[in-house]
Amino acid sequence: MTPPNPGPAGAAAPYLVKRVAVLLASTAVAAVAVFAFMALLPGDPAEIALGVNATPEAVAELRRQFGTDRPPAVRFLDWFGGLLQGDFGTSYVTSAPIGPQIADRLGVTVVLVAGGMAVALALAVPLGTFAAVHHRNPLGAAISAVSQIGIAVPAFLAGILLVFVFAVRAQALPSGGYVPLADGPGEWLRHLLMPWLSLGLVQGAVLTRYVRSAVLDVMREDYLRTARAKGRGSTGALWRHGLRNASIPVVTVLGLQLATLLIGAVVVERVFVLPGLGDLLLSGVAGRDLLLVQGVVMVLVAAVLLINFVVDVAYHLLDPRLR
Amino acid sequence: MLKVEGLTVRADGVELVHDVSFSLAPGERVGLIGESGSGKSLTALSLMGLLPEGVTATGRARLGGDDLLGVPESRLKGLRGSRMSMVFQEPMTALNPLMRVGAQVAEVMTLHGRPRGEARERAVELLDRVRLPEPARLARAYPHQLSGGQRQRVMLAIALANGPGLLICDEPTTALDVTVQKQMLDLISEVAPALLFITHDLAVVASMCERVLVMYGGRVVESGPLREVFTRPRHRYTQGLLAASRLTPRGTRLPVIEGSVPAAGHFPGGCVFRNRCPHATPTCETEPQLTEPQLTDPAPGDPAPGDPAPGDPAPGEPTPGEPTPTGDRHAFACWHPAE
Repeated sequence: MTPPNPGPAGAAAPYLVKRVAVLLASTAVAAVAVFAFMALLPGDPAEIALGVNATPEAVAELRRQFGTDRPPAVRFLDWFGGLLQGDFGTSYVTSAPIGPQIADRLGVTVVLVAGGMAVALALAVPLGTFAAVHHRNPLGAAISAVSQIGIAVPAFLAGILLVFVFAVRAQALPSGGYVPLADGPGEWLRHLLMPWLSLGLVQGAVLTRYVRSAVLDVMREDYLRTARAKGRGSTGALWRHGLRNASIPVVTVLGLQLATLLIGAVVVERVFVLPGLGDLLLSGVAGRDLLLVQGVVMVLVAAVLLINFVVDVAYHLLDPRLR
Repeated sequence: MLKVEGLTVRADGVELVHDVSFSLAPGERVGLIGESGSGKSLTALSLMGLLPEGVTATGRARLGGDDLLGVPESRLKGLRGSRMSMVFQEPMTALNPLMRVGAQVAEVMTLHGRPRGEARERAVELLDRVRLPEPARLARAYPHQLSGGQRQRVMLAIALANGPGLLICDEPTTALDVTVQKQMLDLISEVAPALLFITHDLAVVASMCERVLVMYGGRVVESGPLREVFTRPRHRYTQGLLAASRLTPRGTRLPVIEGSVPAAGHFPGGCVFRNRCPHATPTCETEPQLTEPQLTDPAPGDPAPGDPAPGDPAPGEPTPGEPTPTGDRHAFACWHPAE
């Protein structure tokens, strides 16, 4: 007999250390990639700033001011060192520091994505579970069918449809714009409701199908029969023994979806005129503000890595077999 | 204590178990034997009310004063795990992988009204009772940290936790290593109250049970005291089964039952065994009833009720006799039984 190692503390600590190390290392690699990619893009910030009629001397002078005349490795270390201290540099276009802008916008995007995810979960967990439990009757099949349609709809289209129904026709909600929470929770909520729904409905439809199949799989498990043999009803057995087991595959999908939502948010922010990271990214691209774009992309990439990290840790907490 | 009458199990209009009747006295050990697909497991699952979706059982089954068939799950819940319990074939998947073993044993007690703290303590005692080493430590382990044999012991601990009157074991050792099987069987026969033991292993049933029911094609084809059925099988199927399990001298062909078990719903009418039976005659197209032949010597001090005169029925002729719902005595359903 191999001695069981029941203590969770025994294995968890080194695991966490390892995971954090992996997170930091992959973030550093991502920073190199983001920097290299931006450096390879054609277009010199100094030339862009001065226009086509600038003298070579003026361009060289501005390059020196921007620091873009230094070798790429030096510039990378300068930029990355700044990142570690929360300094994203200063925009070549607007001369404004980039860090505070990102911080400002990040809040809006996080609220948007978190709200969208909450809507998706609130929809998918009950509906998916219901569809699994009632997979043999018409209502369960109907849920599957509707979720199938939902998958086919892109988030921005859902957003436009919502605007048409609730803002244009019913005039119940504002069609766009943003009011900070500090200026009134009611208005804040009214402005976020539709963006949340347009992100959440679509992701919720996808998630519903995953929840359904995860619950269906679990319902066939022997340990649910064991639970019933102990004297639990089928519903009780599913609650007590099924849902946590079913959540393991769902968490995988959730992590992937969060990353998708982050990208989806870029578009939805445009549709609803929300001052989020996506909006900042698009205006950075439009204004050829390369350093700003670089900063925003880095934050988005780091966010995806962080999500993966959280998913990994969640697995670890959920499933003792991984410890 | 357990009385089953006319148990019939159907799925999509196909009869998987047909008119099975038997009873179990308190403390009695009965074996249910037969090939895969003979309906043994379905019989057991229908008593527990654990048939898969789309499979239904009709007939009557009573445990003490409680009906087991045709009652809502809310009523059965109270019996399952407290007055009757079941150990399944596959120990590797029968436990929840995310829950500590001790908690899974304690759960069956808290479900039936025992306070949580007390249930936890008793869970450790039970793990000790099924001879698991270091029970207190093991209670904190997760199922994947245990071997198959250990997990099956945990299942047994769960089954015994509330002191049930009836234990149903469905091939509890089939998935285990041979070396572990023996220990597990010894343990079951030591701790079991009344036992319904399902197996296809004749040697196992011989070591565990006092009485056997032989199933084929969803029917009980022969039943009776183990000694009698095993030393003097009457049904041709039982005879073939025993012949196939006997050790044969080196170099001789293993005796087999010709053909294979038909798929559910494809058994012949009349005697279900007739398409594989070397002795089948046109008589076999009529369904034989499970009857107690009068030529069987009644056990001393146990005269057959209603019929004291043992007569020899002519060979090859239908055996008269009362249909037996209990199977206490040697009975079989065959038109031309082995002598």
